[in-house]
Amino acid sequence: MNQDGLVSHAEPVMGTVVSFALHPGGLPGPDLRAALRAACAVLRDADSVFSTWDPGSPLSLLRRGAPGSVPPPVMAEVEAACRQARDASGGWFDPWAMPGGYDPTGLVKGWAVDKALRTLDQAGIPAALVNGGGDLAAFGRPGPGRCWRAGIRHPWRASGLAAVIEVHGAVATSASYERGAHLVDPRTGRPGGQAASATVTGPSLAQADALATGLAVGGDAALEVISGLAGYQAYLIRPDGTESCTPGMEFARG
Amino acid sequence: MKAGAWLVLGGAVAGFLGVLGLHRPATSGALAQNPAQTGPGRTAAAAGPPGTATGSVVDYGYGELATRVAISGGRITGVSVPVLKTAEQFSRELADRAIPVLRHEVLAAQSAHIQAVSGATYTSEAYAQSVQAALDRAHFT
Repeated sequence: MNQDGLVSHAEPVMGTVVSFALHPGGLPGPDLRAALRAACAVLRDADSVFSTWDPGSPLSLLRRGAPGSVPPPVMAEVEAACRQARDASGGWFDPWAMPGGYDPTGLVKGWAVDKALRTLDQAGIPAALVNGGGDLAAFGRPGPGRCWRAGIRHPWRASGLAAVIEVHGAVATSASYERGAHLVDPRTGRPGGQAASATVTGPSLAQADALATGLAVGGDAALEVISGLAGYQAYLIRPDGTESCTPGMEFARG
Repeated sequence: MKAGAWLVLGGAVAGFLGVLGLHRPATSGALAQNPAQTGPGRTAAAAGPPGTATGSVVDYGYGELATRVAISGGRITGVSVPVLKTAEQFSRELADRAIPVLRHEVLAAQSAHIQAVSGATYTSEAYAQSVQAALDRAHFT
């Protein structure tokens, strides 16, 4: 336990590090550890189904159209979430327009973290934050009268964060990463991007993750679309360093 | 510096706070798993001087790194990188530019009232993972 009374854990999974901050409340140690193990198992399960690296994963089989393979039920669940995000984003997020066929990668990490977080909630943990390599979600409060707070990484200013926000639900940030553009414009099927940093907040990390991907590709046009979605807010840093956000986006004092 | 170079540098910054930040590790034994014990392909880096703890060697896909943290009076007073191996020169250049920034952020994070950072990268994640493992070994609370 750290000095804030939070228990932390970092789990290497899904090609990244997923970190946990838990408020243990009165939960006994063994129960806490069991909840954490269950949450990590959820992430590993998601990884094994949706890995694009593993040629034998159910997603890889589906993408190849391998005969006789029966996708697990979660495949349909993620597909439905992808359809919802595609519609909500006005098509700026579109897993069906990716080169090589259907690729839900832009949503799966958020979907898995949502699921891990629900596992912790159902185990009776009073408050938790799960950060899937920069896409995060939380419930409860880290302490009396306190809110979970997250910094948004500045795309190039080394000395600080672009912003600090209170976390009520999910926060996802997509950006031009150190390996260069990893984003594909669904309208052209080619690499594209109109944002140095694209953050979306809202109740679902699966949706926020996908919308952040769409915002990074679509820039101001996607921001306009997100401003019409109930419960979701967006914050965009353009490639020239200028910024914009949806009217309801709230920032905390750093 | 060209704009492109700034983007490359910027991409490497600060995502590790998501792992470190106020994410200080549990006290010894409080949790069964930590990255030092469960991560893939680790070997311990050489032990550092007294008052320091060295994290695992973390493979981040484009190379390997390990961090060493110095702790004094319950605070992190320094972070160094005793191990850094990269497969090719481009990764080396990225890591060389990223690591001083990440080190600064680890030290700054102690005073930031945040529990996480949104947005992350390969190098920064490996760095954070190793820092976390070093802190675990030091039973830093």
